[in-house]
Amino acid sequence: MSASAVFVLDLKGKVLICRNYKGDVNMAEIDHFYPLLMQHEEEGLLCPALTHGNVHFLWIKHSNLYLVATTNKNSNAALVYAFLYKLVGVFTEYFKELEEESIQDNFVVVYELLDELMDFGFPQTTDSQILQEYITQEGNKLEVAKTKVPTTVTNAVSWRSEGIKYKKNEVFIDVIESINVLVNANGSVMSSDIVGSIKLKTMLSGMPELRLGLNDRVLFSLTGRDKGKSVAMEDVKFHQCVRLSRFENDRTISFIPPDGESELMSYRINTQVKPLIWIESVIEKFSHSRVEIMVKAKGQFKKQSVANNVEIKVPVPSDADSPKFKTSTGHAKYVPEKNVVLWTIKSFPGGKEFLMRAHFGLPSVENDEKEAKPPITVNFEIPYFTVSGIQVRYMKIIEKSGYQALPWVRYITQSGDYQLRTNS
Amino acid sequence: MPYLGSEETLKELKRALSNSNVQADRLRYRNVVLRVIRLMTQGLDMSSLFMEMVKASASVDIVQKKLVYLYMCTYAGLKPDLALLAINTLRKDCADPNPMVRGLALRNMCNLRMPGITEYIQQPVLAGLRDKASYVRRVAVLGCTKMQNLQPEAEIDGTVVNELYGMLRDPDPVVMVNCLRALEEMLKAEGGVVINKPIAHHLLNRLKELDSWAQSETLAFLLRYRPRDEAELFDILNLLDGHLQSSHSAVAAATLRLFLHLADAHPAVQADALSRARGPLLAACASRSRELCFAGLCHVQCILRSVPGQYAAHYKRFFCSYSEPGYIRLRKMDILVELVNDENVALVLEELRAYCTDVLPELAQAAIFAIGRIGRMYSERCLGILTDLLGLRQEHITSAVVQTFRDLVWLCPQCAASVCQAIIGCEENIQDSEGKQALIWLLGAHGDKIASAPYVLEDYIDSLKTELSSLVKLELLTATVRLFLSRPAEIQDMLGRLLHYCIEEESDMCVRDRALLYYRLLHCGVDETRRIMGGPISDPSLGVITGHPDEPVNNWVAHFNTLELLFTRGIGTALPSKGGSDSMALSIAGCPLVVGETGEDPLHTSTEDGPDFSLSLDPPLSPESFEQHWLRLDVSHTGTMVFPGSDCAPETLQAALQLVQIQALAFSRSDSLPWKAYLYSKSSGTLILAELLHSAPPHLQVTVKQVPRDECALQGFITVLETALQALRKEAT
Repeated sequence: MSASAVFVLDLKGKVLICRNYKGDVNMAEIDHFYPLLMQHEEEGLLCPALTHGNVHFLWIKHSNLYLVATTNKNSNAALVYAFLYKLVGVFTEYFKELEEESIQDNFVVVYELLDELMDFGFPQTTDSQILQEYITQEGNKLEVAKTKVPTTVTNAVSWRSEGIKYKKNEVFIDVIESINVLVNANGSVMSSDIVGSIKLKTMLSGMPELRLGLNDRVLFSLTGRDKGKSVAMEDVKFHQCVRLSRFENDRTISFIPPDGESELMSYRINTQVKPLIWIESVIEKFSHSRVEIMVKAKGQFKKQSVANNVEIKVPVPSDADSPKFKTSTGHAKYVPEKNVVLWTIKSFPGGKEFLMRAHFGLPSVENDEKEAKPPITVNFEIPYFTVSGIQVRYMKIIEKSGYQALPWVRYITQSGDYQLRTNS
Repeated sequence: MPYLGSEETLKELKRALSNSNVQADRLRYRNVVLRVIRLMTQGLDMSSLFMEMVKASASVDIVQKKLVYLYMCTYAGLKPDLALLAINTLRKDCADPNPMVRGLALRNMCNLRMPGITEYIQQPVLAGLRDKASYVRRVAVLGCTKMQNLQPEAEIDGTVVNELYGMLRDPDPVVMVNCLRALEEMLKAEGGVVINKPIAHHLLNRLKELDSWAQSETLAFLLRYRPRDEAELFDILNLLDGHLQSSHSAVAAATLRLFLHLADAHPAVQADALSRARGPLLAACASRSRELCFAGLCHVQCILRSVPGQYAAHYKRFFCSYSEPGYIRLRKMDILVELVNDENVALVLEELRAYCTDVLPELAQAAIFAIGRIGRMYSERCLGILTDLLGLRQEHITSAVVQTFRDLVWLCPQCAASVCQAIIGCEENIQDSEGKQALIWLLGAHGDKIASAPYVLEDYIDSLKTELSSLVKLELLTATVRLFLSRPAEIQDMLGRLLHYCIEEESDMCVRDRALLYYRLLHCGVDETRRIMGGPISDPSLGVITGHPDEPVNNWVAHFNTLELLFTRGIGTALPSKGGSDSMALSIAGCPLVVGETGEDPLHTSTEDGPDFSLSLDPPLSPESFEQHWLRLDVSHTGTMVFPGSDCAPETLQAALQLVQIQALAFSRSDSLPWKAYLYSKSSGTLILAELLHSAPPHLQVTVKQVPRDECALQGFITVLETALQALRKEAT
């Protein structure tokens, strides 16, 4: 691992804040980073690892910031990136949004966090829930400055403190699936998969033991029951609270949950799914005069379900002008800064088909530069429905005090990376 | 810092800090400190406030303490004498009842990084090692290393080292991992922390308690340990097994590395581990963060070097998305090329075809080169796509297609006819020098099949004055001389003009020399020129080598899961399409001259053995029929020879052997051991096959098989081979 120093730079390469962990790389080396980055970008050879002399810069970009780690060792790159993303994650939980302004407004907390997250180039306490117990933004307001190391830093259950109390004990379970689809220009589905995640909002007192039952295919075949629909999950990832050994033995998902919001698990399902919203498009470009766009959207899901907030983005040439639209439903508008037509449909019932026509003028003097051909992208959300058919069969909550707790389950399917290439 | 009014600000802050009213009001006091730190963060020099800031550290407010410590760590190097004043406060804090304060003070004391501090921090650090709060112990353990770093020449304290080894059994997992990290740094000179059997087993057993960072690092430390016997090895592998499919891709990668390393003598176990780790690695490749995705792709690419088919079923995961940055798309294309098989070739090509028209010329060209690499296996399909692309009449596309054509023709002679058809007229769309070189090479080598070849060359010759690249000029010289041999009537005149220009007016030494060389060569007569210039225009056997053999896993496992992997591109690009065959053509065309000058022509030495002995390569032997013969025949001769040295490049060896009419069909990478090569040659009706095996320096085992038997030819072949290898050895040393 071993990062020598961590820097946060703004988009012009100016250091906003930095922390020298190891002292074996000159802090002035960072001055080479930005010119190097620019040089690589110009050559079109951008790479997340840059080298100057014997110093390597591993960097990521987040909103209007660069986060850079320097090292002079052949360290584990993936781990360094993971740490930088962890930084982003922790900062985001503290400041809601991580950007230049939030770093400047909260530099004290940033310094404090940098101090706790890593020591001598090695990650130490990186769980933001624990950090939040002893580094607080209210600390700046003096009166509530907590000064005790929370027991959780050394606790067996490091993600949950003892003595949490709620009047009403409830757990909210969100099952969210996003579909990634890539359709090529002649309408064949090149790739598709489902990425699911189960999120919890826990409002439970004490140290409860939870057990979650899913219609997991491996579990069903283990227990010999094969009635009902089951789901084969791949790449299952759990929050650290889940007892992995039990899952490996008998596929039981048992855990002591962190308090508040957390992502319990994520999974991927690699089956061919029918694209839930199918798009057919005809984009005709008449050089020097006009572009005519016809887009047909079809809901390929159950009639009972409704897709909400459907947004279909259709690319148009950057020099197009005088837009005219006609839609069978919803509302279309031209977004010139992104060079797209944005067609929004508030609610889109399954099995229905809608049409949008757009007409643009083109200047008689043609743009010389070649333009990229962005795909059509679609965003949507379908509540009370999962593509994979995954179900929460039960959620058992056991606590010493024996209180009754209520689990609430909600299913949502949404679009992930949903792209349809055009042949214009 | 040149900052207007900064003098004033400093003075004002100084006054505020030493104002007793401010000091009494905790909130005001902290706000002043805050301002100092803010200015420091903005890059202003605040070191003149050191005295006042040191005083501010004696506060009950922990946030203020942190800020002051930060200030001290930043400026301690500039004001070592003043920093010593702070030591007392820090040492007092190290005995604070609050573990948080103790840890904080200890950490910052160790971070002061100034000479002479060690004597003050030694005692608190040692006390910290035995602190009851694990938070302090974590800090103290790393403090030991920091102390060591401050005085690198000082001897390492044996008791501290022993204590740290003992603390590997600390109940707190982070303390344990910090011990490993600390020992590793401190014992750098002796090769780092020693992992013996009890430690290794202890670490393995506690692996589950650790967080993902610590797990990855501990797994890397375990690489040091070698199990005593098979039973222990398999016990360890069993323990690790679950982590291979860890949900953290970093942990999975680290486990895989350890697995491969431990099982280096068991290829079957390695293969199994590779296939079991596929899930997490694929997940890494689909990671939302580009950088982790990139790292995942680099690892997949590395694995494909050994197990090409491994990810073939998942090829769709490597299709590029519009929003991905170039570096990811380039890697994905490289991987796609490796995954091609009979079932997916149509879809992969369709997908790559879509990338060929990308707006970024680099990506478009990379996609075209990728299609070219697939073309070595599926030439017909690819030729169709590439020819269609020429119709787009885009400069960068045409250039890349022509370069791809050149390489394809060199490797797959059967493509020559359709390529010659396709390239007619594309000279109008080529502007860059790589593209020009490729086109000119094609015209020179296959000009006899292209009716318009002389006219295209003439255009280039006429515009020679404006040509900037000397590589293009060199290529043009070679091509014109070559074409002259097959179409003298049309070329003679322009060749004369070209040579005249290059000899009389050209300022580049290389070009002039080459022109003079050809001029003198032509003086020797057409037959002599033909003998020397008429090198092969294709080399199908090279295709066997470029379709690289599966590399042993042990070759790359040492770099797996490190930074290095991110900088190396895959094998497919290590033999870049640009100029690869060119340099070969040049070295073959140039070789006879070198031999002539030194007077050591191996061909002549060999003729001394028998008056009617000579080797030839016609007709060429395909790798398949080589293999059939090799398996069928008995060994007719074995012996040892000198090994030309591992630093001898395969290209050199290949070229040298070709010079004496021995063809190398396949050989292993130059640095691998054992190193193998398969050769063949023909002599007056007998076919001679040979295997070179190099397992231990300095000797080379030679096994020769022959059909039909001919003792004279066999002896001749051995002598020629020996001379050639000796000559290579001389050159290498």
